[in-house]
Amino acid sequence: MKRERSKKYFWLQRLRILTQAGFFLLFFVLFLQTHYPGEDYLKITVERFFHFDPLLLLATSIASRAIFAALLLSLITVAATLLFGRFVCGWLCPLGAVHQFFSFIFKKTRLLKPARDDEASLAPKYLILFVVLAATLLSLNLVGYLDPLSFLYRSFAVFISPLLNLGLAQSGNLAYGLGLKSLGQAISQTAGNLALNGIFQNALLIGVFFLLAVLLNTRKERFWCRYLCPAGALLAIFSRFNLFKLKIDPDKCINCHLCSIHCQTNARPYPVGEWRSPECIYCETCAAICPTAAISFPLRWQAEKMKGVNLDRRRVLLTSITGLVLAPIFKISPLRRRPSPALIRPPGALAEPEFLSRCVKCGECMKVCPTNALHPALTEAGPEGVWTPVLVPRIGYCEYYCSLCTQVCPTGAIRELTVEEKVTVKIGTAWVDKNRCLPYALGKPCIVCEEHCPVSPKAIQLIKVDTLTPEGVLATNLAPFVNVDACIGCGICENKCVVQDLPAIRVSSVGEQRSSHNQLVLPVFEEQDELKT
Amino acid sequence: MERRDFLKNLIVGGLVLKLPPGVLAQPSVPELAVVEGESPAAITREAIKVLGGMSRFISRGDKVLVKPNIGWDRTPEMAACTNPEVVAALVAMALEAGAKEVIVMDHTINQPKRCYARSGIQEAARSAGAKVLFTDEQRLKKMTIKGEWLKEWEVFQDFVEADKLINVPVAKVHSLSRVTLGLKNWLGAIGGNRNQLHQKIDQAVVDLGAFFKPALTVLDAYRVLFRNGPQGGRVSDTRLQKTVVAGVDPVAVDAYGATFFEIKPQELAFLRLAQNRGLGKFELEKVRIEKRAV
Repeated sequence: MKRERSKKYFWLQRLRILTQAGFFLLFFVLFLQTHYPGEDYLKITVERFFHFDPLLLLATSIASRAIFAALLLSLITVAATLLFGRFVCGWLCPLGAVHQFFSFIFKKTRLLKPARDDEASLAPKYLILFVVLAATLLSLNLVGYLDPLSFLYRSFAVFISPLLNLGLAQSGNLAYGLGLKSLGQAISQTAGNLALNGIFQNALLIGVFFLLAVLLNTRKERFWCRYLCPAGALLAIFSRFNLFKLKIDPDKCINCHLCSIHCQTNARPYPVGEWRSPECIYCETCAAICPTAAISFPLRWQAEKMKGVNLDRRRVLLTSITGLVLAPIFKISPLRRRPSPALIRPPGALAEPEFLSRCVKCGECMKVCPTNALHPALTEAGPEGVWTPVLVPRIGYCEYYCSLCTQVCPTGAIRELTVEEKVTVKIGTAWVDKNRCLPYALGKPCIVCEEHCPVSPKAIQLIKVDTLTPEGVLATNLAPFVNVDACIGCGICENKCVVQDLPAIRVSSVGEQRSSHNQLVLPVFEEQDELKT
Repeated sequence: MERRDFLKNLIVGGLVLKLPPGVLAQPSVPELAVVEGESPAAITREAIKVLGGMSRFISRGDKVLVKPNIGWDRTPEMAACTNPEVVAALVAMALEAGAKEVIVMDHTINQPKRCYARSGIQEAARSAGAKVLFTDEQRLKKMTIKGEWLKEWEVFQDFVEADKLINVPVAKVHSLSRVTLGLKNWLGAIGGNRNQLHQKIDQAVVDLGAFFKPALTVLDAYRVLFRNGPQGGRVSDTRLQKTVVAGVDPVAVDAYGATFFEIKPQELAFLRLAQNRGLGKFELEKVRIEKRAV
């Protein structure tokens, strides 16, 4: 018999690879565009990818009991999946493209040797999905940890971005070292315009998770997509019709198993009748690799009996209960008693419970922040707040006229604000540490915090302070005094304080406008004043 | 003497006498030009003209660095940064005078890209023909400042490599040095922990002023910040002064700048230190000042 591979599916496969590359590139360009564009408002919706993710719509809507309108775009994804199956995973998902790319590399380098009859259960991703969804019933939003877009964006924002920044700086340095001044200049100006953030707390941890996810591809092709991805699992549940149905021509098939061995998601194109259509991502590998062009995907309108992954009812029930039990455990936290002083949220962040129910830890706000002020929390926000954004003034401060983080949040956990609205939002309060502040403690002049305070009139005022020095001299200097009502907690004072290790003025979350209980009871002071007079 | 010679002398002599006296007499260019007017660009141009034109300061083929104050993420009407039109006018004049290249840069305090964009300086200077560059950490080098207090500090090499420096500060109040004018503007040419300099700010600005030695200082007092300095925040913190002060003597320029804030130059410690250092003179009565209005 004539052995010839299908030309049509060869080209279709190439087209798929091209589409994947294109969508990854789009994702990356939007990632780089998530920065200060030279004007106050971003012109493009840089977070658009997220709006097409039905898992985010489902999870955040249930958890927050509210629907964020932009996420309704994901209904398009749902409709397309209903008709055509999980082509989104195979053709469009940027994390899928990353995993596909590394699976390909690992196969070529023999680090990954696909097995002939892989019986490993594909159920874990469904169970993960059920845990996540069950938890949302009790307002616990865990979706961000394994949602593919959140996972990829977070890894890029927190881990890849500093690496890119370092690479740019080093290559600029090298160019100058080699005497290529104009090249060095071009590199440094590009870096200045890209404004990539160079430092993140917990970057290593997030990076390790990303590398681990990539390395899992040495175990199985597209390990993440097969076993872990809750979004893929959700799409699998939605893929009902699969209008393009796999067909093996029995006259041509030589039972070589190639299609099954190289199926990216172990959807079993072979033997005939075993095809698990909800697992198929339409990568077209089987049809392209078939040595006799026996496999095709003709359009067939009639619904067929679906052969999905066997999820027995007991396991589904058990995992759902697990999700329900997890929720209260995640909510055990001292933060429910007392707010954390270090938990300074970006301006526009909703009140903490609502914020947590919506935030998907994607890192958009961390990427767009021009001063590198927002960082993924580890312990600051309690167990359910891991990787949520927290402002760390010692690394970056909140730029007064900037509302970028409020413009990019894909789920509305940070409410969109105009610049005019943003400058009025109080996210914390600055406190002077008189034991470390130069005029107070050493009798030396320094007004750096006052100088940098962006509020007008300034929230940091200067008072004359006498400090007795060991020589017995009274050193009189101007010293900072914080007007707590005027202070918005932006943290530039802490950021610019000359005391490097532990600044002499520090911002804590108290007074944050979004909280009704994390407040100082200032009226008491006024009453005392009245009593005196 | 023959009749022909007599006639010749008569004609030549008559012509000479017809010429304005300045041409033959020693020219007395003022040391300080103070020009007032509605257009920031026009008063800047007039001020340089009064001083004898840009070609007095810039030679053909020079690499020029114009150093405005782009320190803050503030729009021009806040008067926290130098007026973009003043900067652009100087860039254009330097190029007209034959400069090979004009660079505009400042080590900002707020995020650089935001300061460059929102101050309006990036766009204005670029369309005037300048190369507007962000400062680059890779170009910092520890240098001997030879100051009274600052012995060495990290300096951006662009400022050292330029043939001519033009300092274009904006006039603002400051809670420690009382005013921030030309000498203090050099804090934007250095790296390191600049905020430590505030512990001896008057000496620091004099040491830096002595190190950088600009060819020309042009103080933008079109809109001055008289309250809530050095960044303001409300238009009501500013006042329209519609003036530009230009001169070679950086101390005289700053001394004149102080008068916008009702401060006598002798009250400012850094001006006294600067004069003692030989950077210039702050006693304005000893300075040849020409005032004009456009």
